[in-house]
Amino acid sequence: MTSLERVLCALRGEPADRRAFTMTLSLYGARLTGCPVREYFTVPRRYLEGQSAVVRHVDPDIIFSPFVLPFEALAYGGEEVWLERFPPNVRKPPFRDPGLAEPLGEGLLLDPGIGYLVEATRLLAGEFGADKPVCAVVTAPVDLPAMLLGIETWLETLLFDPERSAALMALAEDHFQRLSGALFEAGATFVATPVMFANLRLVTPALLERTILPAMRRSFGLSRGPVVYHHGGNRIEDHLGLLADLPNVPGFVIDPRDSLARARETLGPQRLLLGNLNGPALAHANPEEARLLAAAILADRAGDRHFILASGHADVPYVTNPETLLAVRRAVIEAGAVA
Amino acid sequence: MPDGKTADLEARREQLYVLMLEAERERAVATLLEFAAGSGFQAAVNDVLEPVLTRIGEAWCRERISLAQGYVAGKIAEDLLVAAASSSSDLLLDVKGPVVIGNVEDDYHSLGRKMVSVFLRAAGWKVIDLGNDVFPSDFIDAALEHGARVIGVSAMMLTTAENIRAVRAELDARGLSGRIRLAVGGAVFKLRPELVREVGGDGSAPSAIQAPGLFDRLWAESLEGEAP
Repeated sequence: MTSLERVLCALRGEPADRRAFTMTLSLYGARLTGCPVREYFTVPRRYLEGQSAVVRHVDPDIIFSPFVLPFEALAYGGEEVWLERFPPNVRKPPFRDPGLAEPLGEGLLLDPGIGYLVEATRLLAGEFGADKPVCAVVTAPVDLPAMLLGIETWLETLLFDPERSAALMALAEDHFQRLSGALFEAGATFVATPVMFANLRLVTPALLERTILPAMRRSFGLSRGPVVYHHGGNRIEDHLGLLADLPNVPGFVIDPRDSLARARETLGPQRLLLGNLNGPALAHANPEEARLLAAAILADRAGDRHFILASGHADVPYVTNPETLLAVRRAVIEAGAVA
Repeated sequence: MPDGKTADLEARREQLYVLMLEAERERAVATLLEFAAGSGFQAAVNDVLEPVLTRIGEAWCRERISLAQGYVAGKIAEDLLVAAASSSSDLLLDVKGPVVIGNVEDDYHSLGRKMVSVFLRAAGWKVIDLGNDVFPSDFIDAALEHGARVIGVSAMMLTTAENIRAVRAELDARGLSGRIRLAVGGAVFKLRPELVREVGGDGSAPSAIQAPGLFDRLWAESLEGEAP
């Protein structure tokens, strides 16, 4: 079976020769090729070389386009920061005053950082798309304003200024459609969207119901392709039921602290679940620990055809031992076929 | 069985708690101001606000309430302090400290720091807030200038939390590590508690509301460290 067939089996709930698996190894390609991080995240061909090295090393069933959400905010201005072994980040948000945030419209896709994301996706799809799903990562519409303004200003606006919050949400929804549309056009199989501000650890139940979920329904409903809902670094098990009817969402990436069994109970037997290896924690795991962690998750989901072993939280860190990644793959092989 | 006064206080606390959870900032502040008009601002803080903040903090620790609800609680406390400061109130401000706080170099995520500042001030601390992107030496210079025994450094992400090591190194280099204690906080420390020690912190709090307790402890440690 190809990776694409394996992933489709998980989506449809069909038997497969083995469990599909992936890890978020966007940054890790730079480690494997020794490419300086700044060059890796500005030259699409360097990114392709890095992901080719990822495929040669661990051969995951899903590969990722660049996981650099800050580029989406930096398209509007602000200051970036580059560090040696991390993806770039937003040093200073583009806007202090929410009233100054204006939609970029068609200009969004002309931004060099956004252009890099799209072109890297196009190269990945051209090289691997026939055999492997290509996952592009896009900021959730409800989170983009936090990157544009800072978390505090967005929270304040959401809580106390409904008019301005609606305007910012409209900007973010337009941004989401334009970027995800361009990534699908470039060949992305699906987009994964980490979502923070639809979480009851961040927002009030009233905000979630009245403001956040309607915006997500609109955005995901208009998406030109499937959107995999990513936990965004927070537990989602306790309010997963509220997210279950989001349109165009075939699957959910579950937080490593959440229970896959309980997520399955909430979502029903046929929804795709992905998870729940802790990606950043792999940096501290030796290969045998990683193998056992993966094996335990696989054993827990042994009878679940609608499951893909995947890492959650952020990217797998640069410093992670390459053998640790191979150990995860070994656990997948040892678990055998999906009956 | 509680007497009338106790029952009234409990009802007010419950009312304030519910209003905080529902993010009803204006109504919550009105409730506090109404109480302050009859019993004084100090009683509004000690008898109503602080017990409710303690309850909010406990719920926050157990992940029963959201960041937004904690933020609203901070805003309500801030509104009360502003009202107290702008009237000839009986509220004793700045009776502890001073302490110095700021976001570490390269960190611009001010939300946590500002919430810590509000809750510290509500607990009577004088707070010298240096803002975002603060150089290590600036923390120490400010602490020495104001006589602070605690420095609170905030960082949201792992990349910027690493910069706290430089604050610790500066304290060590100037021979101040016993006298000036280093509190650290931010989202990354919730995900990776071991990071507190790794970057040289003397302590952290699980939420901004619990910061006053942490600063009480670190201040006391500083005094003990200097005892003959």
